[in-house]
Amino acid sequence: MNRFARLWRTSTVRLTAIFIVLFVIFSVLLLTFIAYESSIQIQQQQTAAIDREVNILKRLDVTQGDRATALAVQRLAALPGPGIYYLGNDSGLQIAGNVSDFPDFVMNDQGLFSFNYQRAGFDEDGTNSTQGFAVVRSVLLDSGLRLIVGRDVVERRGFTNIVLQGFVLAVAGILVFSLIAGAITARRVLKRIDVINATSAKIMSGNLSERIPVTKRNDEFDALAESLNAMLDRIEGLMQGLKEVTDNVAHDLKTPLTRLRTRVEAALREKGDATSQREALETTLSESDKLIRTFNALLMIARAEAGAPSGAFSEVDVSEVASDVAELYEPAAEEAGMSLHTDIAPAVHLRGNRELIGQALVNLVENALKYHEPTDANPGRIGVSVRRDRDRVLIEVTDNGPGIPVEDRARVIERFVRLEKSRTEPGSGLGLSLVAAVAKLHRGEFRIEDNAPGVRAVLDLPVTSAA
Amino acid sequence: MKILLIEDDREAATYLMQALDEAGHVTHHASDGETGQAMASSMDYDVLIVDRMLPRRDGLTIIESLRAEGNKTPVLILSALGEVDDRVTGLRAGGDDYLPKPYAFTELLARIEVLARRSSPSEAATSYAVGDLSLDRLSRKVERAGDAILLQPREFRLLEYLMKNAGKVVTRTMLLENVWDYHFDPQTNVIDVHMSRLRSKIDKGHASPLLHTIRGAGYMIRE
Repeated sequence: MNRFARLWRTSTVRLTAIFIVLFVIFSVLLLTFIAYESSIQIQQQQTAAIDREVNILKRLDVTQGDRATALAVQRLAALPGPGIYYLGNDSGLQIAGNVSDFPDFVMNDQGLFSFNYQRAGFDEDGTNSTQGFAVVRSVLLDSGLRLIVGRDVVERRGFTNIVLQGFVLAVAGILVFSLIAGAITARRVLKRIDVINATSAKIMSGNLSERIPVTKRNDEFDALAESLNAMLDRIEGLMQGLKEVTDNVAHDLKTPLTRLRTRVEAALREKGDATSQREALETTLSESDKLIRTFNALLMIARAEAGAPSGAFSEVDVSEVASDVAELYEPAAEEAGMSLHTDIAPAVHLRGNRELIGQALVNLVENALKYHEPTDANPGRIGVSVRRDRDRVLIEVTDNGPGIPVEDRARVIERFVRLEKSRTEPGSGLGLSLVAAVAKLHRGEFRIEDNAPGVRAVLDLPVTSAA
Repeated sequence: MKILLIEDDREAATYLMQALDEAGHVTHHASDGETGQAMASSMDYDVLIVDRMLPRRDGLTIIESLRAEGNKTPVLILSALGEVDDRVTGLRAGGDDYLPKPYAFTELLARIEVLARRSSPSEAATSYAVGDLSLDRLSRKVERAGDAILLQPREFRLLEYLMKNAGKVVTRTMLLENVWDYHFDPQTNVIDVHMSRLRSKIDKGHASPLLHTIRGAGYMIRE
């Protein structure tokens, strides 16, 4: 019963039920129309037949006389079938015919009548009289005789019955078949949905790697399963990312936090003078600033990777951003004994986040500045270039520094990865991860290539990056 | 300066009030949005410092209703939400400046002093002068003791911003935001290099320097 109730609640079964009801209503209307129309047709045909016979008998009476007419009526009356015949004189005495008992209005008037009557002689034994329904035309012949010709409409009734029976049968058939079809479809649908439900239950209970099976039928359920699976992949990826972030935050924030704590503790323990305490406080402050910076960078990466609301996306003039950054860093580069060159194509636009693209560029330029120790023999040279290649915008920052070994190129983009050589440099180890996250947010790509010597960092973004 | 601080974190508020007091400002405090709004509309303050997330009425709503009343008191929004989008929403609501938490007190102080309506020359001023240094915003000419100084466009904007806020500390972040229009956080001393270039152009060869470095805070131009 519960099973039935569940089946009943499925939309398929409900749709089938609605369909059946509509179909039945439509069938009733159609069949009623047909029955009504055909009954009128039959009635007209019968009336026409009656009128024809009346006319023949009238003419017979005029040409051949009452006797011949009576004989004809008698003969017609004797034929088996629904015919009703009566011929009588004006005093109401029957001369010929098979029915004698007519209502008064038929006997006294002329015209077409229909009425109930007691039928006799149709039954085998002739004794049983049954209720009949008759349509008759009553006329007075020129000779003064009354002629009544009509039909027992049991035939017509029969036809209506046949239509009605057919209708009931058809509706019953439709009901049975559509219920069966509906139930089968619903069960199949239920089965598929049960699979999806079971999978999502497993996922909700914690197994994020579970996926909805996709059949080879390639139907709408498979399409649904595929899109749900894609969504699950994305969610799993995000969860993974989140876990990584948490792990990294735990690791890389705890280390400096511990350092901070130790320093404060040491300062408290030492009974140093005001100056050394002040110094300790100042280091603490700068350490905590560094922490905040790391934390901000992590948040920014997380937001960019999560696909921040593209509401912040607008038309960005990449050329302008790159020129701004180059202009901002040019004095700093010069101070560090390097030169900064630009090769920026004018008015290169894309849809994106101006601040994030700017930050990515800043990170790349700062990296180029940071990891290069120029000598007289090898003066540092940083290049910033922007160009458009069909529907891509290529932003490149190049240097001629020590470069990054091929095997490390993928790794440096990961969070907190800092190559051994650079451990001593200040920085959170998040710079390139942020660049990669910005590239991803703009549906683009971040590559590290060889500038022989040095690094060629390429931010390859599509022009219309808004999803 | 008379300041209203609307902040629900009592500890942070106490510390901030004390520090503002030491800097010579009178500070009133409201710890929830409703009280804060009532105080802001009934009394005349020079600057409002409004936390964005407050009990009973959030900061942006307060600012919006104050602006709707025609109250033009400068507002500095404090917020734990530091993203660019949040900044834009804050400024759009009628805030005049936006400072993400955690912040350095020097940064906050510099910002409210620049914001305060009493002390700033009007935005429409066409020229600024500090000592024997003058800057004409229309002809874009800069002169020191009668000698013309040639500045790059960005250097001109730097000096313009400093002179507009003459006598007040401007922080590196403020310079980056107002002169370059970026809100990110450079790790190296880029701003300092620009400042030293500017300094060499306006102060070199003059007995009294005008451009001063304020240790731990930023820069200031004054006689």
